[in-house]
Amino acid sequence: MDLARVDAILEGRGSEPFDVMEVLQDIQEEFRYLPEDAMRQTAEILQVPLIEVFRLANFYKAFSLKPRGRHLITVCTGTACHVQGARKLGDQVLGQLKVGPGETTQDGAFTVETVNCVGACALAPVVIIDGEYYDHMTPKKLRKLISRIRKVDAQEEETRTNA
Amino acid sequence: MPEMVTLAIDEQEVEVEEGTNVLAAALGAGICIPNLCYLPGLKPTGACRVCIVEVEKNGRTKMTASCTLEAKDGMVIHAHSENVLRARRNIVELLVAEAPESEVLQVLAERIEVEDVRYPERDNDCILCGRCVTACAEIAATGAKGSIGRGMNRHIGLPFYNEEYCQKCYECRERCPMEIAPQSRRDPCGVCGSELSKNEDLIPEMCGDCELD
Ligand code: SF4
Ligand code: FES
Ligand code: FES
Repeated sequence: MDLARVDAILEGRGSEPFDVMEVLQDIQEEFRYLPEDAMRQTAEILQVPLIEVFRLANFYKAFSLKPRGRHLITVCTGTACHVQGARKLGDQVLGQLKVGPGETTQDGAFTVETVNCVGACALAPVVIIDGEYYDHMTPKKLRKLISRIRKVDAQEEETRTNA
Repeated sequence: MPEMVTLAIDEQEVEVEEGTNVLAAALGAGICIPNLCYLPGLKPTGACRVCIVEVEKNGRTKMTASCTLEAKDGMVIHAHSENVLRARRNIVELLVAEAPESEVLQVLAERIEVEDVRYPERDNDCILCGRCVTACAEIAATGAKGSIGRGMNRHIGLPFYNEEYCQKCYECRERCPMEIAPQSRRDPCGVCGSELSKNEDLIPEMCGDCELD
């Protein structure tokens, strides 16, 4: 792991809890998970107890302790979404991608997670793909979305190998 | 000279330094408020809720933990009202159900006259009182341990669950209600108001974790 990338993130940060949160968010974005060494570095440079960093990393669903795939699919399973059929959506994604909840596909393309309410209950059921919120989701729409992402990825891959 | 504040605890006038918590004030005045997670002199966390009291204000009362409540001038505290006793019994009942193996909890339950435990036994080996975390941070100054996860999954652990971060001083273990035996060296003083504490036959087990001198 490239600690210089962590150091760049840590540059000029304070050690208030919100600073630590910001740092962790940036590390998550940079590496798509929170590597142990990055957490150690954070604790050391910001002079906060390591357990504080580890605790935050474990507390928030936004953080991942294992590498996440290139695309993150989050299915809301909060009350409103559950009532509107979130389970069918979950079954659709997990079946289509052949992973369990919280897992990443073998090719590292997708990680599927669940979350309990994202505060958009009126739009239930909600699915978030790579930070974009999709409202009133149906298994069919979801299947198409995933296939489309796959296709775009494959095309990009092709142009890259041809170049 | 530190500022002094005067408050009433169970109708007794108590004078303490500003900044003292109500539990410490009561214990200092010989009024026993049963407590569990509190470690005298260290930062209270309010985790166990055993030390609850009623605070009276404008004829209304509010229940709150006394260890995390700062004593204020003119405060009126009821530590042994019917409401408090009932709620405290219920809290300890829940704790016993959580960890039926803990002798300290059993003694505490006995001392505040919990008659039976109506909740299903969980058989946990930790009640999340946080004494170990406080001890690790403030006594050992290691600050290695902490509570991880949330809700039902909350638990105490070390960073990355790696034992290497523990300095093996065992300040934590010495304070864990799951590991320690009830304090047995004190004579029954009777100040906590429990009938048990007045009964010679029931020593040495009864005065659970009493912090009174
Ligand atoms: S391990 Fe012991 S001291 Fe620590 S929180 Fe659990 S019961 Fe309390
Ligand atoms: S339950 Fe899904 S957004 Fe609230
Ligand atoms: S002693 Fe006050 S909440 Fe535990």
